[in-house]
Amino acid sequence: MKFQIKYFAAVLAAVSLFVSCNNDDDSAIVEGTHGDAELFFDNGVAGDALIIGNTYTNSNGESLTINRFNYIISNVVLIREDGTEYIYPKEESYFVINHADELQTVHLEGVAAGDYKKIRFGIGVDQQRYLQGETAQQSFWDLAAANDLTWTWSTGYRFINFEGAFTSTAGTEAKPFQVHQGSNTATDNYREVTLDLPTTARVRENEQPSIHIKTDINVLLDGDTKILLQNNLNGAGTAAAIMGGQNLIDIAANSLKMFTVDHVHNGAGSHHE
Amino acid sequence: MKNVLLAVLSFLLLLSCGNDDADLYEEINEQLELNVPANFPPMAQDISYNYPTQKGFELGRKLFYDGRLSADNAISCSFCHEQATAFTHHGHQLSHGINNLEGIRNAPAVQNMAFQSEYFYDGASNSIEMLSIAPIHNPVEMNETLEGIVAKLKQDKEYVRLFKQAFEDQQVSSGNVLKALAQFMTMIVSANSRYDKYVRNEGGVFSQQELLGMQLFQQKCASCHKTDLFTDSAFRNNGLPPNPNLNDKGREVVTGFETDRYKFKVPSLRNVALTAPYMHDGRFGSLESVLNHYSNGVRQNETLDPILNQNGTLGLSITQEEKDAIIAFLKTLTDEEYINNPLFYYKT
Repeated sequence: MKFQIKYFAAVLAAVSLFVSCNNDDDSAIVEGTHGDAELFFDNGVAGDALIIGNTYTNSNGESLTINRFNYIISNVVLIREDGTEYIYPKEESYFVINHADELQTVHLEGVAAGDYKKIRFGIGVDQQRYLQGETAQQSFWDLAAANDLTWTWSTGYRFINFEGAFTSTAGTEAKPFQVHQGSNTATDNYREVTLDLPTTARVRENEQPSIHIKTDINVLLDGDTKILLQNNLNGAGTAAAIMGGQNLIDIAANSLKMFTVDHVHNGAGSHHE
Repeated sequence: MKNVLLAVLSFLLLLSCGNDDADLYEEINEQLELNVPANFPPMAQDISYNYPTQKGFELGRKLFYDGRLSADNAISCSFCHEQATAFTHHGHQLSHGINNLEGIRNAPAVQNMAFQSEYFYDGASNSIEMLSIAPIHNPVEMNETLEGIVAKLKQDKEYVRLFKQAFEDQQVSSGNVLKALAQFMTMIVSANSRYDKYVRNEGGVFSQQELLGMQLFQQKCASCHKTDLFTDSAFRNNGLPPNPNLNDKGREVVTGFETDRYKFKVPSLRNVALTAPYMHDGRFGSLESVLNHYSNGVRQNETLDPILNQNGTLGLSITQEEKDAIIAFLKTLTDEEYINNPLFYYKT
C-alpha cells in the first residue's frame, strides 16, 4: 500500500508539473491584475566573472584589479510586443547594484500582468528627478550614500562607481584608480538602454519572471571609445581619477553597450536567491 | 434617542481623533505668499515640488542657524552666512569651517536663490534643494553627512514635532532636511533697495552722481552683471592672476574641461556694498580695488573672457570720476529691509 502511494504521488507530481507548465504557457492575461518581476544583474568583465580583487587585462594594455563596482539603475519600463509600455512608478524606480555586497537583484512589485518583449532602463539619475530634489518616501540619497554613490563636492549622484588598482605595463607599480560616472552642471551623462528579451517575460498574479542581465564592466574604458587610466593620472602621478570632462561623455556612450539580456526565467518564485 | 445621539457623537469624535495627524498638517501649515518682484526675470528653479510653507520655512530657518548640521555641532550655515552682511562671512577672505579649518573660497551671498540656475563659484550644484549637500559634506566646512544630521535631529523631540508639522510624510529625513533649507532660502528675496524703488517708481530718488553711475554701469558692467539680478549666471575668467597658494581652477573643478579653467560664476551685485571682501577668494577689500582691477589689473590668460580683451587692450577703460559714480550707484543696491527682516533671523 505504501508502495502504491509513493507511485501515485510521483505520478501526481509529474502530472501536476505538466499541467502547471502547460497552464503557464497558455495563462491568459487578466486585465487589471498585477504581478512581480525581477532583474538580476550578473556582473562580468569581457566574458569573465567579476571577482572583487581579481585582475583583468584589457585591450588598452592595462591590467585592472577591481575593488568596487556599484551602479544605479532607474526608470524601468517593460515593453509589450505591440510597443505599448508599462512604466514602473518613477518615484520608486531607483535601485542600487553593489557587487561586493551581492546587491544584484532589482525587485519590481505590482507590475501590470502582460507579455513583455523588451526592457528599458536608465543608468544613473535623470536631470528631471535630480532637479525635483529628494522624494522623502524613498530617501534615495541615504541608500546611494551607503553604497558610495553620492557626490558631495558637486552635488549629485555617482551613476557608476568603479574603483581598484591598475598597472599599465608589466613591472610597473600598481596605482589606484577611480572611475566615477555621473552628471554635473555642465554635462548630463544619464543614459537609457533598451534591450530585447530572448524569450517573453510573463507577468501574472502568480508568475514572476526573472530577467537575467549580463553587465560587462570592461566596455566602460575599453568600449567603442578607449580610455587609458595611464592618461588620467593626477599631477603627482600616483593615482588615476576619472570624474569629469570628456571622459564622462565617452563613458556614457560606452555604457550603452554594457548590458545584454542573457535569458529570462518564467514561473513562480524567485530565481536568483 | 439619547443613546443614538451619544453613539453618533462618540463615533464622530473617534473619526476626528483618527484623522488628527493628517488634519494637523493641513490646517496649520499654510503656503507662504511668494511674488516675483516686478523688475525681476522669472524664477530659474521650479519650486512647485517644494513650495514654501509656513512650517517648512520656519524649520528651514531653525536648521540654517543650528550648529548640529556640522560634525562638531559648532558650525551652522549662519556661521559663514550672516544676515547683516547679505548672508556673507564679513571680514573673512576665505570661509572658516570646523576646527578653524580654512576653505579656498569667499562665502557667497544668500539672496534671490530661486532666481539662480547654478550655485557656488564653480556651479557645483544647479538645484536649490541639493545645494546644501556641498557645504554640509565639505571636510573644511561642516564635515557632516545628511544621515549623521538626521540621526542627531531624531534625538530631539522638538525637531521630531517640527518635521511632523512641516511635511506630509512627517519624517525626519535627509530629503526633508534639504527641502526645509530650500524653503528657507527660497524666501530670502532681496528686491527692495533704493534702486528697486527707483526703477519701479515707488519713490526711490537718485542723485546726479548715482544716475551717472547707473548709466556707466549699464555701458561697462551690465553685459555680465545682467538684469535686475545683476548677474548673467555665467562662468567667466575676469583676468585675476591665479593665487598660487590656492591653485583654484574654478569651474574646471566641476566640469573637468580645461576650457573652464579659472572661470568663476559672475556674482550678483545686490547688497554689494555690504559683502566685502570681493572675488571668489576674497582678495579685494573694497569696491575701489575691484574697479581698479577692471581698469588696470586684468591679466591675459587662455580663458580670459573676450569682453575684457578688446583687440589686445585688456580690461575696461574707466576714469577715477567714473569709478566714484559707479560705486555711488552700487551703494543704491543695498536693501535694508532684507538685511533687517526679522523673518530671516532665528532667535534661539
